[in-house]
Amino acid sequence: MSTIDFLLNGFAVAFQWQNILFAFVGVVIGTAVGVLPGIGPMSGVALLIPVTATLTSGLPTEAAAASSIILLAGVYYGAMYGGSTTSILLNTPGESSSVVTTLDGYQMAKQGRAGAALSIAAIGSFAAGIVSLIGLVLLAEPLSNVAIKFGPAEYFSLMLLGLCAVSGLAGKSMTKALIMTVFGLLLGTIGIDAVSGIARFTYDMPILYSGLEFLTIAVGLFALGEVFKTILERDKEDGAIAKIDRVLPTKQDLKDSAVPIVRGSLLGFFIGVLPGAGATLASFFSYIAEKKFSKHPEKFGKGAIEGVAGPESANNAASGGAMIPLLTLGIPGSGTTAILMGALIMYNIQPGPLLFDDHPEVAWGLIASMFIGNLMLLVLNMPLVKVFAKIIQTPKKYLLPIIIAISFFGVYAVQYTTFDLFLLLACGVIGYLLSKNDYPVAPLVLALVLGPMIENNMRRALTISNGDFSIFVSKPLSLAFIIVAVLWLIIPLLMKLKGRNVIVNEEE
Amino acid sequence: MSKTFDRFASIAFLLIGLLFVIESRSISVSSYGSSVGPNIFPMALGTILILLSIKLLFETTKYKSEDGSKEPLQYMKFIIIFVSAAVYAAVLEPLGYVISTFIFLLIAFQTMERGKWIQTIIIAAVFSFGVYYFFAEFLGGSLPGFPEF
Repeated sequence: MSTIDFLLNGFAVAFQWQNILFAFVGVVIGTAVGVLPGIGPMSGVALLIPVTATLTSGLPTEAAAASSIILLAGVYYGAMYGGSTTSILLNTPGESSSVVTTLDGYQMAKQGRAGAALSIAAIGSFAAGIVSLIGLVLLAEPLSNVAIKFGPAEYFSLMLLGLCAVSGLAGKSMTKALIMTVFGLLLGTIGIDAVSGIARFTYDMPILYSGLEFLTIAVGLFALGEVFKTILERDKEDGAIAKIDRVLPTKQDLKDSAVPIVRGSLLGFFIGVLPGAGATLASFFSYIAEKKFSKHPEKFGKGAIEGVAGPESANNAASGGAMIPLLTLGIPGSGTTAILMGALIMYNIQPGPLLFDDHPEVAWGLIASMFIGNLMLLVLNMPLVKVFAKIIQTPKKYLLPIIIAISFFGVYAVQYTTFDLFLLLACGVIGYLLSKNDYPVAPLVLALVLGPMIENNMRRALTISNGDFSIFVSKPLSLAFIIVAVLWLIIPLLMKLKGRNVIVNEEE
Repeated sequence: MSKTFDRFASIAFLLIGLLFVIESRSISVSSYGSSVGPNIFPMALGTILILLSIKLLFETTKYKSEDGSKEPLQYMKFIIIFVSAAVYAAVLEPLGYVISTFIFLLIAFQTMERGKWIQTIIIAAVFSFGVYYFFAEFLGGSLPGFPEF
């Protein structure tokens, strides 16, 4: 069956009424999550996994997996849309990938052009979504075919590359990022070892035999960590929300934004495909690129529409692109995709090159529903922008305890143990301490997910080579990945030594 | 960047790394055919963690002293909410979802901002009952029910 046939089958899956409903719910929740500062796409997706598990528990596994992943992916790119709303209206980025949008977007809002900024952001995001989907459709098959030839040594090196990429650019201190990564890997070793069946670090506590559940740690570190941070620190009063007059952009705005949107989409897509680089990096790069290419660079920072169109397209394209290593190679490229992968594994669907062969409905259903989801977001954004601006004004006193209650509910609904609730609280405190002191949490989560896979592949490769460690460097692909991984670590170090500013990749 | 915290943290990670290394030695070395047993990975990781923590410790000596522009933290609120969350976790199963969630939300809402009891009670009740009936009864999920009296 050719790609087009698969895609049409995927649309058939995506158009089932429950999947359309799930896509709709996903993008609405995603936009809400993106609009609310404090909850990012990572916490939103993590919180919703147990909820989707309960919602789809009646369906057969494959259909359930397809529906859940459609909802969760909807949350992911919906959050990219929503994040721009607060950046433009309140000068507060909803999540880290919208930081750049505050620079010009808020200025435009102050000049009374908030509506135009919001719609250009929506249009740019939609265009970027389409571009990244086309890329996904085109690249999925060839990449999977290449990936099938990967052996355990190549997988090991590729995952190492992903970890090094996330650590190399995360946070201000690479040492701290590496510490987080190694700590995450160590946490992943707790439990019964898969290869030999020997219990490690369990101290005869049966509850630890299956290891620390990734979901609990992710929700605790991100969602509860943010909540505790907001409770502890008195947030400054939010500034007055800029008024929204006209919602539609002028013709001149559209003309000015066309090229930045195209540039941003392509740039964002390729950055998203790289494991480790994600939406935040893409938006930064796009802003810098737009400034360089513009005929009036002095307009940037004072309300240039290119400064909104480019980065917003880039971050949406990057979130589409980040699905590629997840679906084709089975390697999550960022914190959020790691959580998506955790969701897939929960349904016994192993993402990777065989995903397209074994479970084509899940893969192509997801891709098709991303088309639908993007369309829904474009339609929803225009009229609902005012509604979302209202959501921002939810009093914190109600919001925060409800988030805690939702986290408890979410974790308990999946784990059924009180131990996990206490682990959740502990991770919340740890998450607060870590993020306050500049220890990036995303590498920890990524390492927790990748750790067991890395170890298994390493041991398998060593079994094949009879204990000879040189197998990792003698195979050409594996060697290439290791070299790139080392470069990812060394180049930022060198640049820091030279005093150049390194772009920081916060979790997104 | 907080000098004291980083010092603390680097020592803490040092100890954690040490703990993992020591514990890995007691894991059985047998590997059933593969030359790499289940103890190698944690031991190697623990060693790397120790080295990284030492490096972090070195880096903290180079920090400039920070300006004391820290905002006062609202410890009391946090501690109350944290303790009530811990109690919530402990009583969830004995008391059932609705009751424990309701009590927790009541305490949390009032801690965040005193007053407006009617609104607080209504919202807490709507949330607890709503989630329970929606998921446990309607969707067939599994949440701790009401306790037997």
